[in-house]
Amino acid sequence: MILGIGFQDPLLVGFIGLGLLLVLVFLGVRVVFAAAVTGLFGLVELLGWGPAAGIVGTIPHSKSSTYALSVLPMFIFIGFLAFHAGMTRQLFEAARKWVGWVPGGLAVATVFATAGFAAVSGASTATSAVFARVAIPEMLKYGYDKKLAAGVVAAGGTLATLIPPSAILVIYAIIVEESVGRLLLAGFLPGLVSALIYAAIIVAWSLRKPEAAPSVSGFSWGERFATLPGLFPIMLVVLIIISAIYNGWATPTEAGALGAGVVFVMALFRGTGAKTIRSALMESAKLTAMIFSLIWGVLIFVRFLGFSGLPEAFTLWITGLDAHPMVIMICILIAYAVLGMFMDAIGMLLLTLPVVYPAVMALGFDSIWFGIIVVKMAEVCLITPPIGLNCFVVNGVRPDIPLGQIFRGVMLFFIADVITIAVLLAFPEIVTWLPDAMRN
Amino acid sequence: MMTQQSAPTSSGLGPIGKFGQLFQPLENAANMIAGIAIFVLMVLGIVQIGLRTIFNSPVTGYIDLVELSMATMAFLGAAYCQRLGAHIRMELFIGGLRGRFLWMAEILSTLVGLGIVGVLIWYGWDHFMRAYQLGDTTIDAEFPVWPSKLLVPVAFSLWFIRLFIQLAGSIRLFISPGLSPEGVAIHKDVAEQAQEEIEVALGDGASLPDDKSGQVQP
Repeated sequence: MILGIGFQDPLLVGFIGLGLLLVLVFLGVRVVFAAAVTGLFGLVELLGWGPAAGIVGTIPHSKSSTYALSVLPMFIFIGFLAFHAGMTRQLFEAARKWVGWVPGGLAVATVFATAGFAAVSGASTATSAVFARVAIPEMLKYGYDKKLAAGVVAAGGTLATLIPPSAILVIYAIIVEESVGRLLLAGFLPGLVSALIYAAIIVAWSLRKPEAAPSVSGFSWGERFATLPGLFPIMLVVLIIISAIYNGWATPTEAGALGAGVVFVMALFRGTGAKTIRSALMESAKLTAMIFSLIWGVLIFVRFLGFSGLPEAFTLWITGLDAHPMVIMICILIAYAVLGMFMDAIGMLLLTLPVVYPAVMALGFDSIWFGIIVVKMAEVCLITPPIGLNCFVVNGVRPDIPLGQIFRGVMLFFIADVITIAVLLAFPEIVTWLPDAMRN
Repeated sequence: MMTQQSAPTSSGLGPIGKFGQLFQPLENAANMIAGIAIFVLMVLGIVQIGLRTIFNSPVTGYIDLVELSMATMAFLGAAYCQRLGAHIRMELFIGGLRGRFLWMAEILSTLVGLGIVGVLIWYGWDHFMRAYQLGDTTIDAEFPVWPSKLLVPVAFSLWFIRLFIQLAGSIRLFISPGLSPEGVAIHKDVAEQAQEEIEVALGDGASLPDDKSGQVQP
């Protein structure tokens, strides 16, 4: 063989390839390079240089030029524009007036406001940054516990990924060859459930310590309804995407384009200048290039894995285990939780899914359901130490709140996330109901 | 964060830094073209919905057009992304390295990148040439495919040059770690990444991170 090693067993080559990939990624090689190089070496070893390089040379273009992926730049652009469309303060105002009266009202309001904004922006960390500035001062003014105030802002950002538009769900759909539309729909209810469980745990906590999280009341119904027009753009974007996919009046890309158009007009309406628009386009293009590189890089590796037969072998091993599928699922989720402490969410999903996904399917789990669970897991990692980026972001905006306190504050929401995942494990219908309703 | 440091005067830069700076406008332009393509995709999507709903006559070859334009968005920003160190990697190990060890790891990482990007330029060019010589078109609207395929070798050549600048920068610092960094993207720890996110979210967005200098200062 070309590498002069001459392994006869494709499976062995598969294992060595996987090992090489892990070593390169650990050493800090950019994931796109590590995946593509390992894929190339593996294919060369299995097929010889000519055929292997021929295959690899076509993958970036052929895998990127698919209509299904074109929704990504749209969602990304919506995200960068959302910050200039000035919806954050109105959202927080509205949430404060509507739910401020419950125990821990301002924190609960923060949960719903971040959920709403994060849904549209799709950016967890950036959402935390914005609300650290909008919501924390308000909560501290009312004598809220610092840990709670910082924790809710850091954790609230993670609600970004499930409620459509969500780029990471699109990426999952592409990698496992599922319907983008069904995944986007499936994320809506679990996102809502996530937010409700966050709210519930705040209320429970506040009932024990009412002085550390007082409610704010005394708003008239008139005042409440007056806040609704400010929510309109956000609701419109989410509604456009859900209804387009559910009723089929537009493809996800077209719906994304219309959503971006709405946010774009909003941003112009608020006096956003050409320079800002240009910077949003530059940022969007950068993030798009980054995500597409990851996708084709990993797909080169996936092509090699396919030839090696490693995913099948792993599946055979998993299904041969003498354990209940749910026990295996919980082990997989724990593995993700550990991995997520050290890796970026998108990178983690892309690198693990090619091997893990076929095994999970063979265990009899639903692919849409697994997508939602695993994306939720990946988001939890944004608030777990040592590199819970959202916590660092909150600390960056509010240096007066020590990082340790923020990590302690998010513990409450980590518990809430564990409950959410347990609920989704116990009631998979929460995930599958909406996409199934669309199909019928 | 790049904007926090004052830009070095170009007279103070060595050959690597100078070449890196000369190369920047090209990367920025390529990334901007990708950005414009995103904007056009948005407009096209809205027009498509409008024409279909109101006049019942969708844009001819819309899907073909979108698929061909994907290459613009997918590849043209790759070099820009590389300069800003935005292609993701696991920071656990490399983040703890200092001095020569750090630059050695950077050299390894960049060499891997140069290798694979080089192969992709070569075989991406083949892929383009086949489409060009055979006169490949899309199935539906019969648009020629080659311009889209040509973007792979073109964009990846920019990426290759940027990687080469970073390799040179890393080797220079490996030899003498005391010099001020030129032509390399400096590793950012979590707190610095967080600061960057904050800038994107809260900054007025009016300044691009690379407006002053692409050469990150320590």
